[in-house]
Amino acid sequence: MSYDRTAAFMRQAGTIFVTLIGLLILTFCIGRLMPVDPVRAVVGEEADRATYEMVAERMGVNLPLHQQFFRYVGDIVQGDFGVSIRTGQPVINDIAHVMPATIELATFAIIGGAGLGIPLGILAAVRRNRPIDHVIRFLTLIGHSMPIFWTGMIGLIIFYAALDLVGGGGRISDYYIGLVPETTGFMLIDAMLAGDWEVFGDAVNHLILPASILGYSSMAYITRMTRSFMLDQLNQEYVITARVKGLSKSRTVWHHAFANIRVQLVTIVALAYGSLLEGAVLIETVFSWPGFGQYITNNMLIGDMNAVMTCVLLVGVIFIALNLLSDALYKIFDPRTR
Amino acid sequence: MNYFTKTLSACLVASVALSAPAFSATPPTMLVVGLSMNNILTLDPAAITGKETVQVLANIYDNLVSLDPVNRSQVNPQLAASWTVSPDKTAITFKMKDGLTFASGNPITSADVVWSFKRLMSLNLAQASFLKTHGFTAANADASFTAPDANTFVITLPKKVDPEIIVLTLGIVGPGSIYDSKTVIANEKNGDQGAAWLTNHSAGSGPYVLNEWRSNERAILDRNEKYWGEAPAMKRIMMRHLAESQSQRLMLEKGDIDIAFSMSAADLKAMEANKEVRTETIGGSGFYYLATSMKDEKFSKPKVREALRYLIDYQGLNETILPYFGKPRDRPIPNGIFGALPDAGYKLDVAKAKALLAEAGYPNGFKTTLRALSDAPFLNLATALQATLAQGGIQAEIITGSGDQIYGAMRERKFELLVGRGGGGQLPHPDSNLRAIVYNPNNSDESKLTNFQGWRTSFFDEKLNAMIDAALIESNKDAQIKQYGDIQTYYADLVPAIQPFSEVVDSVGMRADIKGLALNPSWSTQLRTVTKDR
Repeated sequence: MSYDRTAAFMRQAGTIFVTLIGLLILTFCIGRLMPVDPVRAVVGEEADRATYEMVAERMGVNLPLHQQFFRYVGDIVQGDFGVSIRTGQPVINDIAHVMPATIELATFAIIGGAGLGIPLGILAAVRRNRPIDHVIRFLTLIGHSMPIFWTGMIGLIIFYAALDLVGGGGRISDYYIGLVPETTGFMLIDAMLAGDWEVFGDAVNHLILPASILGYSSMAYITRMTRSFMLDQLNQEYVITARVKGLSKSRTVWHHAFANIRVQLVTIVALAYGSLLEGAVLIETVFSWPGFGQYITNNMLIGDMNAVMTCVLLVGVIFIALNLLSDALYKIFDPRTR
Repeated sequence: MNYFTKTLSACLVASVALSAPAFSATPPTMLVVGLSMNNILTLDPAAITGKETVQVLANIYDNLVSLDPVNRSQVNPQLAASWTVSPDKTAITFKMKDGLTFASGNPITSADVVWSFKRLMSLNLAQASFLKTHGFTAANADASFTAPDANTFVITLPKKVDPEIIVLTLGIVGPGSIYDSKTVIANEKNGDQGAAWLTNHSAGSGPYVLNEWRSNERAILDRNEKYWGEAPAMKRIMMRHLAESQSQRLMLEKGDIDIAFSMSAADLKAMEANKEVRTETIGGSGFYYLATSMKDEKFSKPKVREALRYLIDYQGLNETILPYFGKPRDRPIPNGIFGALPDAGYKLDVAKAKALLAEAGYPNGFKTTLRALSDAPFLNLATALQATLAQGGIQAEIITGSGDQIYGAMRERKFELLVGRGGGGQLPHPDSNLRAIVYNPNNSDESKLTNFQGWRTSFFDEKLNAMIDAALIESNKDAQIKQYGDIQTYYADLVPAIQPFSEVVDSVGMRADIKGLALNPSWSTQLRTVTKDR
């Protein structure tokens, strides 16, 4: 048994390692094939040849591609993730700064998205083809179809500019910047730790709209998937049997049918959360939210491969971690997988 | 109402209750500026590229002299009290003002000035090109920049050049910025001359000091309490990264920002009816132009290039696409710079263009490609040009892309037609424009003189080069002005590869109660004079 577990662990570790290396190779190749010139970003359009070549040598971009790649991998094995061209700071410091902003946004978005999406999906399935089902499906269709940057701008126009209900761009009003010490990087937690409820309120005020928009987008996906899974279960014989035996509708739905879709829901919520963590760049741009999505995109656009590769590695690790978490939760929700 | 619905309702109510009311109107002693910081990669003046960084650093560093925001030929004393040019025009001697200090409290001496320029040349980054053009190098820096005493700085010209252009160059934020050498040296690492530290710290003497810079987020400038000049009214300047023009507009109209530097024409126009905000427009740097590659056989023919000249709708482009960001100009020296001739008065003339094409051997026109950035206004300009070219029989396929794709092709001399923006101009001297857009010292592919747009377009004329060089060293002002006039006339006769159709202007949105903002065409707008009438 112990040998089997060790073998399984080694297989999984090997898979993870190969996945991460593959990610790095693919990203590096794409980055170097893209028509972006990191040297030009540093020296500017008007620089002469001598300046260009000097900076190119310093950045190492004139080395053969494979040498550049191995140099980078060699550095990260030693814990050196390099310095960002864009910020001049160690990439790891940059990520430590931007990641909390994105985690805060994504977490609130997924709480809303899953918190509303799952019950709405179940409601739509239970009330299939009734008016409420059509309304829910219509709302999810809108959530799927509307470009998120457009939704963001409309949200700002209505809730910020016209109704004055929420804050504008950024994580916090300018007036409050620097008032609470940055202990964790999570604005809400830092404000709570400092006991500054005015700053806390202002941070919520700025978070609520972008998180709601992202949450709506996630909700659209989660609702539709939940409805689909639920419909599958509701058509099963055991559900009909439970009802015939006198079980109430709500007990049948929540204690039996829902229990059988928890495993699938864990997967889609985990994937949705992972997507939010690395892909909220459009909302981050519209709301000037200094998050991970913007960081990786802006660095990609100038060919800053140190930053891009590190970010890709991190995204890979996040998705792998989420998958492992899903696997662990499967074992809790479905004893057959133990 | 079931348990779930009750819980959901409670959460919604709590989130609204906990959130503070939105804070409108910026504090009276804090100026909030919105701009796109995508191009800000460092705050080291020697290494900067782009307008946005200059807009930040103009408030942190002083120069020996400053460029007047209204009269572009005028240079005002800043750290220097006065300067004299030697009779043989080979040296300029600056007398420093007495008793000035950096923000650190260190006295400003000529040794700091010498150190600043030597550093600029030895690092040899983007801003060094302003002085490299006139023969300054790291190798001759010791001879070129000297300090006979603590209050005197002497710049010895390595080659014959108009001393006025050197003085103007020293007024540019970047090459002319003076550092607190002691502070920078104290933060040096591995012989980098403080480059890493200066990325997000400051060592200047300007009205503000850099409190914090977070890339693509914000720059906070605090009032320099040791500033030698009149204390600014604003205690703090918050520069916020707002990449989206619409976000800047919404926040400006709400009062959450005071000034917006990076707004699009559409948003500026939408704000016209709002009495709480206003827009100011000022001359900028450079031109919008149509460039041709003379490596291409078709465009090597002067008659074809002349036909292109008459297939540009100068009035239409400026009125419909470039309001707020361009004004008509068909010469390679902008209005307001000495020596600039009036416009030649080119107009869209399809019949004349067709006749020229027929003379050149293309009676039925031809197919070509037209490159343009995918950002506004370039794509719109390209679309409009495509239409007028088509009237003349030229079928232009538009190729769009990023800067590297479009200007990269231009740097490799692998393009046919291109709509671009450039041509110097941050330095308010005609040589700056001509050197950037016209001059080409060596037309060979091997020379790779990508910093000259003349080289990129394979446009080469020895006589024109000689005229530009001669005008730069002409010591008689009237004669110099005439020479620049002759250059523009000769350039037009040659039918150049780059045809300007608009000179760049910059437009800034601001709250109506902002007073004292004097926009500077060389990008170095000082915010120390700004007050709010509230």
